[in-house]
Amino acid sequence: MSLRDRFHREDLHSLAAPYALDALEPPERVRFERHLKECDSCGAEVRALSEDAIRLAWSTVAPPPPAMRDRVLAAVRATPQEPVRQQGAVRQQGADWQQGSDWQRESVRRREPARARKSQLPPHVWGAQPPPRARQRRPLFVPFATATAAAALVVASLFAVQADRTQDELDAQKAQASEIAHVLQASDALATRGQDAQGRSIGVIASASEGRAVVTLSGYSAPPGGRVRQLWLMRPNEQPRSLGLFGTDTPLVATGLDKSATSLAVTVEPDGGSPQPTTQPVVQLTLKSVGFGE
Amino acid sequence: MEADELLVLVAGGDQKAFEELYGLVSGPVFGLVRRVVRDPAQSEEVSQEVLLELWRSAARFDPRRGSALSWILTLAHRRAVDRVRSARAAGEREQREAHRAHHTAFDQVTEEVEAGLEREWVRRCLERLTELQRQSVTLAYYDGYTYREVAERLSLPLGTVKTRMRDGLTRLRECLGGVA
Repeated sequence: MSLRDRFHREDLHSLAAPYALDALEPPERVRFERHLKECDSCGAEVRALSEDAIRLAWSTVAPPPPAMRDRVLAAVRATPQEPVRQQGAVRQQGADWQQGSDWQRESVRRREPARARKSQLPPHVWGAQPPPRARQRRPLFVPFATATAAAALVVASLFAVQADRTQDELDAQKAQASEIAHVLQASDALATRGQDAQGRSIGVIASASEGRAVVTLSGYSAPPGGRVRQLWLMRPNEQPRSLGLFGTDTPLVATGLDKSATSLAVTVEPDGGSPQPTTQPVVQLTLKSVGFGE
Repeated sequence: MEADELLVLVAGGDQKAFEELYGLVSGPVFGLVRRVVRDPAQSEEVSQEVLLELWRSAARFDPRRGSALSWILTLAHRRAVDRVRSARAAGEREQREAHRAHHTAFDQVTEEVEAGLEREWVRRCLERLTELQRQSVTLAYYDGYTYREVAERLSLPLGTVKTRMRDGLTRLRECLGGVA
Protein backbone atom coordinates (compact mmCIF):
# COMPACT_ATOMS: atom_id res chain seq x y z
CA MET A 1 0.00 0.00 0.00
CA SER A 2 1.44 3.33 -0.95
CA LEU A 3 1.73 6.11 1.54
CA ARG A 4 -0.90 7.98 -0.32
CA ASP A 5 -3.31 5.04 -0.19
CA ARG A 6 -2.66 4.64 3.48
CA PHE A 7 -3.26 8.27 4.12
CA HIS A 8 -6.45 8.03 2.12
CA ARG A 9 -7.57 5.05 4.16
CA GLU A 10 -6.86 6.67 7.46
CA ASP A 11 -8.69 9.70 6.31
CA LEU A 12 -11.68 7.59 5.37
CA HIS A 13 -11.40 5.69 8.58
CA SER A 14 -11.85 8.83 10.62
CA LEU A 15 -15.32 9.11 9.10
CA ALA A 16 -16.58 6.18 11.18
CA ALA A 17 -18.13 8.38 13.87
CA PRO A 18 -19.75 10.85 11.48
CA TYR A 19 -21.04 7.87 9.53
CA ALA A 20 -22.56 6.36 12.66
CA LEU A 21 -24.27 9.67 13.35
CA ASP A 22 -25.56 9.90 9.76
CA ALA A 23 -23.46 13.02 9.41
CA LEU A 24 -21.90 12.32 6.02
CA GLU A 25 -23.01 13.79 2.76
CA PRO A 26 -24.39 11.20 0.34
CA PRO A 27 -21.27 10.92 -1.87
CA GLU A 28 -19.10 10.53 1.23
CA ARG A 29 -21.49 7.97 2.59
CA VAL A 30 -21.10 5.94 -0.57
CA ARG A 31 -17.32 6.24 -0.47
CA PHE A 32 -17.21 5.24 3.16
CA GLU A 33 -19.41 2.23 2.58
CA ARG A 34 -17.12 1.17 -0.21
CA HIS A 35 -14.23 1.51 2.20
CA LEU A 36 -16.08 -0.63 4.75
CA LYS A 37 -16.24 -3.40 2.25
CA GLU A 38 -12.46 -3.51 2.00
CA CYS A 39 -11.65 -2.82 5.62
CA ASP A 40 -11.82 -5.92 7.79
CA SER A 41 -11.35 -4.12 11.07
CA CYS A 42 -13.90 -1.39 10.40
CA GLY A 43 -17.12 -3.35 10.55
CA ALA A 44 -17.16 -4.05 14.27
CA GLU A 45 -16.13 -0.52 15.11
CA VAL A 46 -18.75 1.07 12.92
CA ARG A 47 -21.41 -1.18 14.37
CA ALA A 48 -20.36 -0.28 17.90
CA LEU A 49 -20.41 3.42 17.14
CA SER A 50 -23.78 3.06 15.47
CA GLU A 51 -25.14 1.38 18.55
CA ASP A 52 -23.81 4.27 20.61
CA ALA A 53 -25.54 6.75 18.36
CA ILE A 54 -28.82 4.90 18.75
CA ARG A 55 -28.67 5.39 22.49
CA LEU A 56 -29.30 9.04 21.77
CA ALA A 57 -32.71 8.04 20.44
CA TRP A 58 -33.72 6.69 23.84
CA SER A 59 -34.46 10.15 25.04
CA THR A 60 -36.79 11.12 22.24
CA VAL A 61 -39.74 8.73 22.58
CA ALA A 62 -43.03 10.50 21.95
CA PRO A 63 -46.53 9.20 21.28
CA PRO A 64 -47.48 9.48 17.61
CA PRO A 65 -50.81 11.00 16.59
CA PRO A 66 -53.51 8.33 16.98
CA ALA A 67 -54.68 8.67 13.35
CA MET A 68 -51.25 7.62 12.13
CA ARG A 69 -51.90 4.08 13.27
CA ASP A 70 -54.91 3.63 11.00
CA ARG A 71 -53.10 5.09 8.05
CA VAL A 72 -50.09 2.88 8.48
CA LEU A 73 -52.17 -0.23 9.01
CA ALA A 74 -54.30 0.58 5.94
CA ALA A 75 -51.15 1.04 3.89
CA VAL A 76 -49.78 -2.24 5.23
CA ARG A 77 -52.90 -4.07 4.10
CA ALA A 78 -52.44 -2.72 0.60
CA THR A 79 -48.71 -3.24 0.38
CA PRO A 80 -47.08 -6.52 -0.53
CA GLN A 81 -43.84 -7.41 1.14
CA GLU A 82 -40.50 -8.06 -0.37
CA PRO A 83 -40.12 -11.79 -0.70
CA VAL A 84 -37.71 -13.52 1.64
CA ARG A 85 -34.73 -14.14 -0.54
CA GLN A 86 -33.62 -17.72 -0.17
CA GLN A 87 -30.47 -17.03 -2.06
CA GLY A 88 -29.58 -14.30 0.37
CA ALA A 89 -30.31 -16.56 3.30
CA VAL A 90 -27.92 -19.17 2.02
CA ARG A 91 -25.25 -16.65 1.38
CA GLN A 92 -25.57 -15.47 4.94
CA GLN A 93 -24.08 -18.67 6.29
CA GLY A 94 -20.87 -17.36 7.75
CA ALA A 95 -20.75 -14.64 5.19
CA ASP A 96 -20.35 -11.09 6.24
CA TRP A 97 -21.23 -8.08 4.25
CA GLN A 98 -17.60 -7.36 3.57
CA GLN A 99 -17.47 -10.40 1.38
CA GLY A 100 -19.50 -8.78 -1.27
CA SER A 101 -23.19 -8.90 -1.80
CA ASP A 102 -25.44 -7.68 -4.51
CA TRP A 103 -25.75 -4.55 -2.51
CA GLN A 104 -22.10 -3.72 -2.77
CA ARG A 105 -21.83 -4.72 -6.36
CA GLU A 106 -24.67 -2.41 -7.05
CA SER A 107 -23.27 0.41 -5.03
CA VAL A 108 -20.09 0.55 -7.03
CA ARG A 109 -21.83 0.42 -10.33
CA ARG A 110 -20.79 3.61 -11.91
CA ARG A 111 -23.91 4.34 -13.82
CA GLU A 112 -25.85 4.65 -10.58
CA PRO A 113 -25.19 7.98 -8.96
CA ALA A 114 -25.22 8.30 -5.22
CA ARG A 115 -28.70 9.61 -4.96
CA ALA A 116 -30.14 6.59 -6.67
CA ARG A 117 -29.06 4.72 -3.58
CA LYS A 118 -30.50 7.22 -1.23
CA SER A 119 -33.47 5.17 -0.22
CA GLN A 120 -31.38 2.14 0.52
CA LEU A 121 -29.56 1.54 3.70
CA PRO A 122 -26.07 0.32 4.34
CA PRO A 123 -25.33 -3.32 5.01
CA HIS A 124 -24.84 -2.89 8.72
CA VAL A 125 -28.38 -1.62 8.91
CA TRP A 126 -30.02 -4.09 6.65
CA GLY A 127 -28.09 -7.12 7.68
CA ALA A 128 -26.61 -9.42 5.14
CA GLN A 129 -29.57 -9.58 2.85
CA PRO A 130 -29.26 -7.16 0.01
CA PRO A 131 -32.17 -5.07 -1.14
CA PRO A 132 -33.86 -6.32 -4.27
CA ARG A 133 -32.05 -5.55 -7.46
CA ALA A 134 -33.63 -3.57 -10.14
CA ARG A 135 -34.03 -5.99 -13.01
CA GLN A 136 -34.30 -3.24 -15.52
CA ARG A 137 -34.37 0.47 -15.40
CA ARG A 138 -37.78 1.48 -14.34
CA PRO A 139 -37.76 5.18 -13.83
CA LEU A 140 -39.91 5.66 -10.79
CA PHE A 141 -39.52 2.53 -8.81
CA VAL A 142 -35.93 1.56 -9.22
CA PRO A 143 -35.35 -0.10 -5.84
CA PHE A 144 -38.70 -1.79 -5.87
CA ALA A 145 -38.80 -3.46 -9.23
CA THR A 146 -39.84 -6.75 -7.70
CA ALA A 147 -42.75 -5.25 -5.85
CA THR A 148 -46.13 -5.17 -7.43
CA ALA A 149 -47.74 -2.03 -8.65
CA ALA A 150 -49.74 -1.81 -5.46
CA ALA A 151 -46.50 -1.47 -3.59
CA ALA A 152 -45.26 0.93 -6.17
CA LEU A 153 -48.26 3.05 -5.46
CA VAL A 154 -47.48 3.40 -1.84
CA VAL A 155 -43.84 3.70 -2.63
CA ALA A 156 -44.47 6.59 -4.96
CA SER A 157 -46.38 8.51 -2.38
CA LEU A 158 -44.65 7.64 0.82
CA PHE A 159 -41.10 6.99 -0.15
CA ALA A 160 -40.68 9.85 -2.56
CA VAL A 161 -38.17 7.74 -4.38
CA GLN A 162 -35.43 9.61 -6.09
CA ALA A 163 -33.38 7.95 -8.75
CA ASP A 164 -31.25 9.28 -11.52
CA ARG A 165 -33.77 11.31 -13.40
CA THR A 166 -34.06 14.67 -15.00
CA GLN A 167 -35.45 17.56 -13.04
CA ASP A 168 -38.59 17.55 -15.18
CA GLU A 169 -39.23 13.92 -14.44
CA LEU A 170 -38.60 14.51 -10.78
CA ASP A 171 -40.98 17.43 -10.77
CA ALA A 172 -43.67 15.42 -12.50
CA GLN A 173 -43.19 12.60 -10.04
CA LYS A 174 -43.23 14.96 -7.14
CA ALA A 175 -46.51 16.42 -8.33
CA GLN A 176 -47.95 12.96 -8.67
CA ALA A 177 -46.51 11.82 -5.36
CA SER A 178 -48.09 14.78 -3.66
CA GLU A 179 -51.44 13.98 -5.26
CA ILE A 180 -51.14 10.46 -3.98
CA ALA A 181 -50.00 11.61 -0.58
CA HIS A 182 -53.03 13.84 -0.51
CA VAL A 183 -55.31 10.85 -0.92
CA LEU A 184 -53.41 8.87 1.68
CA GLN A 185 -53.51 11.67 4.18
CA ALA A 186 -57.29 11.90 4.04
CA SER A 187 -58.76 10.80 7.32
CA ASP A 188 -61.08 8.34 5.56
CA ALA A 189 -58.50 6.86 3.18
CA LEU A 190 -59.12 3.15 2.75
CA ALA A 191 -57.49 0.48 0.66
CA THR A 192 -58.86 -2.45 -1.26
CA ARG A 193 -57.55 -4.94 -3.79
CA GLY A 194 -59.12 -7.24 -6.29
CA GLN A 195 -57.63 -10.19 -8.10
CA ASP A 196 -58.54 -12.00 -11.26
CA ALA A 197 -58.22 -15.74 -11.84
CA GLN A 198 -54.68 -15.34 -13.14
CA GLY A 199 -53.57 -13.61 -9.96
CA ARG A 200 -53.28 -10.20 -11.59
CA SER A 201 -54.62 -7.50 -9.38
CA ILE A 202 -55.96 -4.00 -9.10
CA GLY A 203 -55.24 -1.99 -5.98
CA VAL A 204 -57.12 1.07 -4.85
CA ILE A 205 -56.62 3.55 -2.07
CA ALA A 206 -59.58 5.88 -1.98
CA SER A 207 -60.98 8.71 0.04
CA ALA A 208 -64.72 9.15 -0.29
CA SER A 209 -64.64 12.59 1.30
CA GLU A 210 -62.04 13.78 -1.19
CA GLY A 211 -63.62 11.93 -4.10
CA ARG A 212 -60.17 10.73 -5.05
CA ALA A 213 -58.53 7.39 -5.53
CA VAL A 214 -55.13 6.06 -6.40
CA VAL A 215 -55.36 3.01 -8.62
CA THR A 216 -52.64 0.58 -9.55
CA LEU A 217 -52.45 -2.55 -11.65
CA SER A 218 -50.08 -5.36 -10.97
CA GLY A 219 -49.17 -8.50 -12.81
CA TYR A 220 -50.28 -7.20 -16.19
CA SER A 221 -47.81 -7.24 -19.01
CA ALA A 222 -47.72 -4.27 -21.36
CA PRO A 223 -50.83 -4.15 -23.53
CA PRO A 224 -50.40 -5.25 -27.14
CA GLY A 225 -48.92 -2.67 -29.49
CA GLY A 226 -50.90 0.47 -30.08
CA ARG A 227 -53.28 -0.25 -27.23
CA VAL A 228 -53.66 1.14 -23.75
CA ARG A 229 -55.43 0.27 -20.51
CA GLN A 230 -58.19 2.64 -19.60
CA LEU A 231 -59.83 3.04 -16.22
CA TRP A 232 -63.58 3.49 -15.96
CA LEU A 233 -65.85 4.59 -13.20
CA MET A 234 -69.06 2.56 -13.06
CA ARG A 235 -72.22 4.02 -11.56
CA PRO A 236 -75.72 2.61 -11.46
CA ASN A 237 -77.88 3.59 -14.45
CA GLU A 238 -75.14 5.67 -15.97
CA GLN A 239 -72.61 5.30 -18.76
CA PRO A 240 -69.11 4.41 -17.65
CA ARG A 241 -66.97 7.51 -17.20
CA SER A 242 -63.31 7.48 -18.21
CA LEU A 243 -60.91 8.13 -15.35
CA GLY A 244 -57.81 8.10 -17.50
CA LEU A 245 -55.20 5.90 -19.09
CA PHE A 246 -52.60 3.85 -17.28
CA GLY A 247 -49.00 4.67 -18.04
CA THR A 248 -46.27 2.13 -17.57
CA ASP A 249 -45.59 1.36 -13.93
CA THR A 250 -47.22 4.46 -12.59
CA PRO A 251 -50.38 4.57 -10.55
CA LEU A 252 -53.34 6.51 -11.81
CA VAL A 253 -54.85 9.23 -9.68
CA ALA A 254 -58.60 9.47 -10.21
CA THR A 255 -60.41 12.56 -9.05
CA GLY A 256 -63.99 13.73 -8.92
CA LEU A 257 -65.42 10.43 -7.76
CA ASP A 258 -68.87 10.82 -6.33
CA LYS A 259 -70.35 8.71 -3.61
CA SER A 260 -72.58 6.84 -6.04
CA ALA A 261 -69.55 5.21 -7.69
CA THR A 262 -70.03 1.48 -7.37
CA SER A 263 -66.99 0.04 -9.06
CA LEU A 264 -63.93 0.57 -11.19
CA ALA A 265 -63.23 -1.31 -14.38
CA VAL A 266 -60.22 -1.58 -16.66
CA THR A 267 -60.47 -2.23 -20.38
CA VAL A 268 -57.94 -2.43 -23.18
CA GLU A 269 -58.58 0.31 -25.72
CA PRO A 270 -56.96 1.68 -28.85
CA ASP A 271 -54.11 4.12 -28.29
CA GLY A 272 -55.39 7.40 -26.91
CA GLY A 273 -58.34 5.76 -25.18
CA SER A 274 -62.02 5.59 -26.08
CA PRO A 275 -65.01 7.73 -25.08
CA GLN A 276 -66.80 4.57 -24.02
CA PRO A 277 -65.42 1.09 -23.35
CA THR A 278 -65.14 -0.98 -26.54
CA THR A 279 -64.03 -4.23 -24.90
CA GLN A 280 -64.92 -6.38 -21.93
CA PRO A 281 -63.26 -5.29 -18.68
CA VAL A 282 -60.07 -7.18 -17.90
CA VAL A 283 -60.64 -6.52 -14.23
CA GLN A 284 -63.32 -4.90 -12.14
CA LEU A 285 -63.38 -3.87 -8.49
CA THR A 286 -66.24 -2.81 -6.27
CA LEU A 287 -65.72 0.34 -4.23
CA LYS A 288 -68.12 -0.49 -1.46
CA SER A 289 -65.40 -1.39 1.03
CA VAL A 290 -63.72 1.98 0.55
CA GLY A 291 -66.76 4.11 1.33
CA PHE A 292 -68.47 4.47 -2.03
CA GLY A 293 -71.58 2.98 -3.58
CA GLU A 294 -74.17 4.90 -1.62
CA MET B 1 -43.52 -10.32 22.64
CA GLU B 2 -40.29 -8.51 21.92
CA ALA B 3 -39.71 -6.46 18.80
CA ASP B 4 -37.18 -9.01 17.58
CA GLU B 5 -39.64 -11.89 17.61
CA LEU B 6 -42.39 -9.74 16.16
CA LEU B 7 -40.23 -8.62 13.29
CA VAL B 8 -39.65 -12.25 12.33
CA LEU B 9 -43.41 -12.83 12.26
CA VAL B 10 -43.92 -9.63 10.31
CA ALA B 11 -41.42 -10.86 7.74
CA GLY B 12 -43.72 -13.83 7.26
CA GLY B 13 -46.64 -11.53 6.45
CA ASP B 14 -48.31 -11.55 9.86
CA GLN B 15 -50.39 -8.37 10.04
CA LYS B 16 -51.39 -8.93 13.66
CA ALA B 17 -47.73 -9.09 14.57
CA PHE B 18 -47.21 -5.85 12.72
CA GLU B 19 -49.93 -4.20 14.76
CA GLU B 20 -48.21 -5.33 17.91
CA LEU B 21 -44.87 -4.16 16.59
CA TYR B 22 -46.45 -0.83 15.78
CA GLY B 23 -47.48 -0.53 19.42
CA LEU B 24 -43.90 -1.12 20.52
CA VAL B 25 -41.95 0.98 18.08
CA SER B 26 -44.19 3.76 16.82
CA GLY B 27 -43.38 5.91 19.86
CA PRO B 28 -39.61 5.59 19.54
CA VAL B 29 -39.79 6.04 15.75
CA PHE B 30 -42.09 9.05 15.86
CA GLY B 31 -40.22 10.63 18.75
CA LEU B 32 -36.87 10.31 17.04
CA VAL B 33 -38.17 11.52 13.70
CA ARG B 34 -39.90 14.47 15.30
CA ARG B 35 -36.76 15.34 17.22
CA VAL B 36 -34.85 15.62 13.96
CA VAL B 37 -37.51 16.84 11.54
CA ARG B 38 -39.41 19.02 14.05
CA ASP B 39 -42.27 19.92 11.74
CA PRO B 40 -45.21 17.82 13.02
CA ALA B 41 -46.80 17.06 9.64
CA GLN B 42 -43.51 16.11 8.04
CA SER B 43 -42.56 14.06 11.07
CA GLU B 44 -45.72 12.09 10.71
CA GLU B 45 -45.10 11.54 7.04
CA VAL B 46 -41.56 10.33 7.57
CA SER B 47 -42.65 8.09 10.45
CA GLN B 48 -45.27 6.51 8.22
CA GLU B 49 -42.68 5.86 5.55
CA VAL B 50 -40.42 4.21 8.07
CA LEU B 51 -43.13 2.03 9.56
CA LEU B 52 -44.34 0.94 6.17
CA GLU B 53 -40.79 0.18 5.16
CA LEU B 54 -40.58 -2.11 8.19
CA TRP B 55 -43.50 -4.04 6.87
CA ARG B 56 -42.10 -4.27 3.37
CA SER B 57 -38.57 -5.07 4.32
CA ALA B 58 -38.88 -7.00 7.58
CA ALA B 59 -37.20 -9.98 5.95
CA ARG B 60 -33.96 -8.04 5.70
CA PHE B 61 -33.57 -7.81 9.44
CA ASP B 62 -30.75 -10.01 10.64
CA PRO B 63 -30.94 -10.60 14.42
CA ARG B 64 -27.25 -11.50 14.58
CA ARG B 65 -26.37 -7.93 13.77
CA GLY B 66 -28.16 -6.27 16.61
CA SER B 67 -31.56 -5.75 18.10
CA ALA B 68 -34.68 -5.04 16.11
CA LEU B 69 -35.12 -1.72 17.84
CA SER B 70 -31.62 -0.63 16.84
CA TRP B 71 -32.29 -1.60 13.28
CA ILE B 72 -35.58 0.24 13.26
CA LEU B 73 -34.21 3.38 14.87
CA THR B 74 -31.24 3.45 12.52
CA LEU B 75 -33.65 3.32 9.64
CA ALA B 76 -35.84 6.02 11.17
CA HIS B 77 -32.87 8.28 11.82
CA ARG B 78 -31.54 7.93 8.30
CA ARG B 79 -34.91 8.84 6.83
CA ALA B 80 -35.38 11.76 9.20
CA VAL B 81 -31.96 13.16 8.41
CA ASP B 82 -32.56 12.81 4.68
CA ARG B 83 -35.80 14.70 5.05
CA VAL B 84 -34.47 17.51 7.18
CA ARG B 85 -31.55 18.03 4.83
CA SER B 86 -33.66 18.24 1.73
CA ALA B 87 -35.98 20.60 3.54
CA ARG B 88 -33.02 22.73 4.53
CA ALA B 89 -31.68 22.64 1.03
CA ALA B 90 -35.05 23.83 -0.16
CA GLY B 91 -34.78 26.70 2.26
CA GLU B 92 -38.16 26.00 3.75
CA ARG B 93 -36.87 26.14 7.24
CA GLU B 94 -34.56 29.05 6.91
CA GLN B 95 -36.88 31.59 8.29
CA ARG B 96 -38.07 29.51 11.18
CA GLU B 97 -34.52 28.61 12.00
CA ALA B 98 -33.47 32.21 12.04
CA HIS B 99 -36.08 32.90 14.66
CA ARG B 100 -35.19 30.03 16.85
CA ALA B 101 -32.28 30.46 19.16
CA HIS B 102 -30.19 27.37 18.99
CA HIS B 103 -30.23 25.26 22.08
CA THR B 104 -28.11 22.24 22.53
CA ALA B 105 -30.08 19.10 22.13
CA PHE B 106 -30.26 17.98 25.69
CA ASP B 107 -31.99 21.16 26.73
CA GLN B 108 -34.77 20.46 24.31
CA VAL B 109 -34.99 16.88 25.36
CA THR B 110 -36.31 17.99 28.69
CA GLU B 111 -39.25 19.60 26.95
CA GLU B 112 -40.48 16.27 25.66
CA VAL B 113 -43.72 14.93 26.95
CA GLU B 114 -42.58 11.80 28.63
CA ALA B 115 -39.77 11.77 31.10
CA GLY B 116 -38.65 8.20 31.21
CA LEU B 117 -35.72 6.69 32.96
CA GLU B 118 -33.86 6.37 29.69
CA ARG B 119 -34.38 10.01 28.92
CA GLU B 120 -32.95 10.96 32.24
CA TRP B 121 -29.95 8.72 31.72
CA VAL B 122 -29.19 10.06 28.28
CA ARG B 123 -29.50 13.59 29.56
CA ARG B 124 -27.20 12.91 32.45
CA CYS B 125 -24.65 11.20 30.26
CA LEU B 126 -24.72 13.99 27.70
CA GLU B 127 -23.94 16.38 30.50
CA ARG B 128 -20.82 14.44 31.26
CA LEU B 129 -19.39 15.04 27.82
CA THR B 130 -17.24 18.05 27.16
CA GLU B 131 -19.09 20.94 25.60
CA LEU B 132 -17.56 20.32 22.17
CA GLN B 133 -18.17 16.58 22.30
CA ARG B 134 -21.77 17.15 23.22
CA GLN B 135 -22.39 19.75 20.58
CA SER B 136 -20.66 17.76 17.87
CA VAL B 137 -22.73 14.70 18.65
CA THR B 138 -26.07 16.39 19.17
CA LEU B 139 -25.89 18.78 16.22
CA ALA B 140 -25.32 15.77 14.02
CA TYR B 141 -27.70 13.30 15.58
CA TYR B 142 -30.57 15.44 16.78
CA ASP B 143 -30.37 18.22 14.23
CA GLY B 144 -29.24 16.30 11.18
CA TYR B 145 -26.21 18.42 10.34
CA THR B 146 -23.33 16.89 8.44
CA TYR B 147 -19.98 16.95 10.18
CA ARG B 148 -18.90 19.68 7.79
CA GLU B 149 -21.83 21.81 8.83
CA VAL B 150 -21.11 21.04 12.46
CA ALA B 151 -17.51 22.15 11.97
CA GLU B 152 -18.73 25.36 10.41
CA ARG B 153 -21.22 26.08 13.15
CA LEU B 154 -18.72 25.43 15.89
CA SER B 155 -15.83 27.05 13.99
CA LEU B 156 -13.70 23.96 14.40
CA PRO B 157 -11.44 22.13 11.97
CA LEU B 158 -13.01 19.06 10.35
CA GLY B 159 -10.56 16.72 12.01
CA THR B 160 -11.45 18.05 15.43
CA VAL B 161 -15.14 17.54 14.86
CA LYS B 162 -14.61 13.96 13.73
CA THR B 163 -12.56 13.26 16.83
CA ARG B 164 -15.07 14.95 19.13
CA MET B 165 -17.83 12.88 17.62
CA ARG B 166 -15.94 9.68 18.18
CA ASP B 167 -14.91 10.58 21.71
CA GLY B 168 -18.40 11.76 22.51
CA LEU B 169 -19.98 8.54 21.34
CA THR B 170 -17.44 6.42 23.16
CA ARG B 171 -17.96 8.33 26.36
CA LEU B 172 -21.68 8.01 25.99
CA ARG B 173 -21.22 4.26 25.65
CA GLU B 174 -19.24 4.13 28.87
CA CYS B 175 -21.82 6.17 30.70
CA LEU B 176 -24.86 4.39 29.34
CA GLY B 177 -23.23 1.00 29.18
CA GLY B 178 -24.96 -0.36 32.25
CA VAL B 179 -28.42 0.62 31.09
CA ALA B 180 -30.08 -1.54 28.51
